[in-house]
Amino acid sequence: MRDVIVIGAGGGGPVVAKELAAKGLDVLLLEAGPRHAKPRDEWTTFEDDANNPLTGYFRPGPSDRSKPAWFREWPQNSFVWQLSGVGGTTQHFYGNYPRAYPGVFQGYDGADRNEYDVNHRFPFTYAEMVPYFEWVEATMPVMTAAMGHKEQTFFRGAETLGLPVQTTKTTLGPSYRPQENAILQPGGTAGKTSDKNLLNYPQATGCTFCGYCFQGCMRPNGAPRNQFAKRSTDNSYVPMALTANVWARGGRPIELITDAYVTRVHAERRHGVLTATGVTWRDNNSGAEHREDARVVVMSGGCTENPRLWFNSGLPNPNGWVGRGYTDHFFDWLIGSFDDSTGNPKGVGSSARLDFPPYGGLENVGLPPALSAFAGTLSDSGIRGQYGNGRGKTGPWDGPAGRVMGPELKELMAGGIDKLMTVLVITDDDVEPDNRVTLSALPADENGPIPKVTFKHRQRTARTVRNREFMARKAAELLRGAGAKKVYRIDWAPLILHVQSSMRMGASEQNSVVNPRGETRAVKRLFVADNSALSNALGGPNPTLTSQALATRTAEKIFATYFGGDPWVRSESPVVSTDPRVSVRLGQLGL
Amino acid sequence: MPDADPPAVEPLARRAFPARIGVLGAAVGAGGLLTRSLLNPADAATNQLLPPAVDLIRPVLAELARDTLNGLTVFAMPGPDAYSRTQGTPSPTPGAMESGATDFMINALDHFVPFPDAIAQPVGAALVTGLADSGLADTGLALPGLSVLPVELRTLDRALAAYLQSDETLPLSFPIAGLLNLMATQVNPLAVNGPHLSPFARLTYAEKAAAFELIERTDSDLVALLDVHFPEPLKASVSGLLKFVGGALLEFATFGAYSEYGVFDKETKALRMRPVSWSLTGYQPDGPVEGWDDFIGYYQGRKEVHD
Ligand SMILES: Cc1cc2nc3c(=O)[nH]c(=O)nc-3n(C[C@H](O)[C@H](O)[C@H](O)COP(=O)(O)OP(=O)(O)OC[C@H]3O[C@@H](n4cnc5c(N)ncnc54)[C@H](O)[C@@H]3O)c2cc1C
Repeated sequence: MRDVIVIGAGGGGPVVAKELAAKGLDVLLLEAGPRHAKPRDEWTTFEDDANNPLTGYFRPGPSDRSKPAWFREWPQNSFVWQLSGVGGTTQHFYGNYPRAYPGVFQGYDGADRNEYDVNHRFPFTYAEMVPYFEWVEATMPVMTAAMGHKEQTFFRGAETLGLPVQTTKTTLGPSYRPQENAILQPGGTAGKTSDKNLLNYPQATGCTFCGYCFQGCMRPNGAPRNQFAKRSTDNSYVPMALTANVWARGGRPIELITDAYVTRVHAERRHGVLTATGVTWRDNNSGAEHREDARVVVMSGGCTENPRLWFNSGLPNPNGWVGRGYTDHFFDWLIGSFDDSTGNPKGVGSSARLDFPPYGGLENVGLPPALSAFAGTLSDSGIRGQYGNGRGKTGPWDGPAGRVMGPELKELMAGGIDKLMTVLVITDDDVEPDNRVTLSALPADENGPIPKVTFKHRQRTARTVRNREFMARKAAELLRGAGAKKVYRIDWAPLILHVQSSMRMGASEQNSVVNPRGETRAVKRLFVADNSALSNALGGPNPTLTSQALATRTAEKIFATYFGGDPWVRSESPVVSTDPRVSVRLGQLGL
Repeated sequence: MPDADPPAVEPLARRAFPARIGVLGAAVGAGGLLTRSLLNPADAATNQLLPPAVDLIRPVLAELARDTLNGLTVFAMPGPDAYSRTQGTPSPTPGAMESGATDFMINALDHFVPFPDAIAQPVGAALVTGLADSGLADTGLALPGLSVLPVELRTLDRALAAYLQSDETLPLSFPIAGLLNLMATQVNPLAVNGPHLSPFARLTYAEKAAAFELIERTDSDLVALLDVHFPEPLKASVSGLLKFVGGALLEFATFGAYSEYGVFDKETKALRMRPVSWSLTGYQPDGPVEGWDDFIGYYQGRKEVHD
């Protein structure tokens, strides 16, 4: 019998695991995918080898890459980008760590208070969240992004829009700024040389500007795992959880098992109340099933997998909201082509952003060629110059929106990847019940019936569509202001990777799965701690910081409710995840 | 650009399927892969050295799939090759053919797309034969420029049926190629004949785009056209899946064409040559790096912020 079993070692699960390990609980962390304990042996810097969603080392699938990836049904032109493995989808994320906008929390009374997703606010105030933001920001740690040439290009454009620069953690209104990133600032030779021989740790510390965020961060070369620049959870929270005994008084290291696919959460009636009792998981390699009991079970499998696990476990869904209300920031993508170098794609994937509550935001994104080409062809508007698929909007970009394909794409890319700058349009999108996860009618895989992710992207709410159009225009203006000679709008088909709110926390029993403490309404001792528990799309900010802050809060609630402990976030100081005690212990453990 | 009305999708007579998707042409057309005598039953009966029907048909389908996917990958990234010329958009610098994008697609489709057999199999069967119950030969076919004897058709028919009924998993590249070829002949019926093995590869760039337009706007149209009887719970999934497939083919072919796939050595985890797209775009001129000297400071000199 464990104290706590956490399902999934992605963005959210390791936060709960680390916090409760620090309190001395016996925590088992189960991860469906691989460990990647030796990135220098397992990873490269190549896009197909890393990012091919079928065969890459970053994919949703078992460790054994000769086996197919896990198939998920998407009944529309779309792409759900989730990874398995320790670190989950943070393994290839960009580490952008803005806070959710205050307007998405209960009690917000700004002048624009009616402009947000007002029916789906967080069931507590922004002020209550702030200490949890601060705790995660100090743990990661989150830092103001260093600037490279592509950020300089972005700022040149942002400066033409008549907006102030944000110099606070909290976003108070439309503004632009360097990202607050979960990426260590460059130190020593990092960022100052391209000579491999001079870029070994500790001569170089923090971000070396390699440009490989998407292929996984294992730099500077020779650094301990917890000192790699990008703070994906495999480099931050997981190392802390595995070494809790050395940095927390009374801490107890977690047990981490990988290639362990949880197929069932068990629950039984206790004193008339349905209560979680443990889980069953399946070893990807041997196929063997294991069962373990726990006092508390935490679902952290992500927005797509949690609903699947819920349904496959036969758990009740009285208000029908399990899997519903999935938000994805209804992204769009604009490409600017320049006469001069923009600095693309060197450096951190994205280090500059523009926030525009209550519409959403923008950020620059650097990508290598294959991902750039992919991003230019993912569209709901057909092929530019050929067909518009019923859309193909015109606006302050050049020509109709749509795929840049074939000869046009080749010409654009041949101009030089360093002459491009791409801007991600992040929409503050509404929670809508029909955007959801259900079980697919397609055949089950070895872990049971598979999830189906439905997005009615052509029927989003008027507010969502308005926000997206508004931000797409801003993106075009920004690119022109930066000096782009030509601007392309792709009108992305849903690229679902800022995932939120499919098991949402809410004040109302009518439209939420999780109560304001993070516990599921239908099953006691079962908590949700990852992006799926988020109440809404946060106004547009990238979700992981808010998700981890919420997971920290949920860890406190678990500890206080079921283990008789006191909350700690307001009374203790966090230990930073780069702490040398963690590094030394990792070395002893051969990690 | 105004969105012109796309051509309507007409349900096909089942018997026209194999011609349209190119199997007949690839098998016995001018430049076809099968010696016509192989399909002659008199020969087959007497010649012990002839391979069984399934062995005859498998390479035909594989070549047809490859040829079709050549037509797709040059659509994603044209180059100096014959397929790009046929498409009408040749380009002097290396493209998808040189970058190995067709192998990328075949490898992905046939070995790694965990697409459910429950859908691939019936779609594949419909696309590859379209003759399951009716029997091709009896219906008589009028194919422009292709004179096929009834005996040859019957043999081909039987070979296809045997293949589809065998326990072999149908490589996904076959139904995908079938889908593209079917759409190709909707867009341009004359594409059943011409250079290359497959109708899709014979299309111009604009015609290929028109074929994708048909796939992308699929609702019931294409599903009706396929006329496949899926088990009930799956039926609702097919149209959505086809939309997904349409988008994914374009995006994935492009990703493959611009990736290092063709020159990556799995054993050493190193590149054998500079990838086509790296030369094209000037990406990392000296190969992979540990870092860049691109750090130019902090915006407005601010290294941290607080509330
Ligand atoms: C390209 C890209 C860039 C991004 N950039 C940013 C960014 O800059 N900033 C930001 O905030 N966000 C970013 N994101 C989003 C970020 O990755 C997610 O917010 C975050 O990973 C979500 O955490 P999660 O725990 O909800 O899910 P995940 O990280 O997906 O983790 C879920 C984990 O659970 C495991 N799992 C699932 N089901 C089971 C099961 N049944 N049994 C066992 N294990 C299971 C999975 O294998 C996985 O490891 C980016 C995403 C992508 C794809």
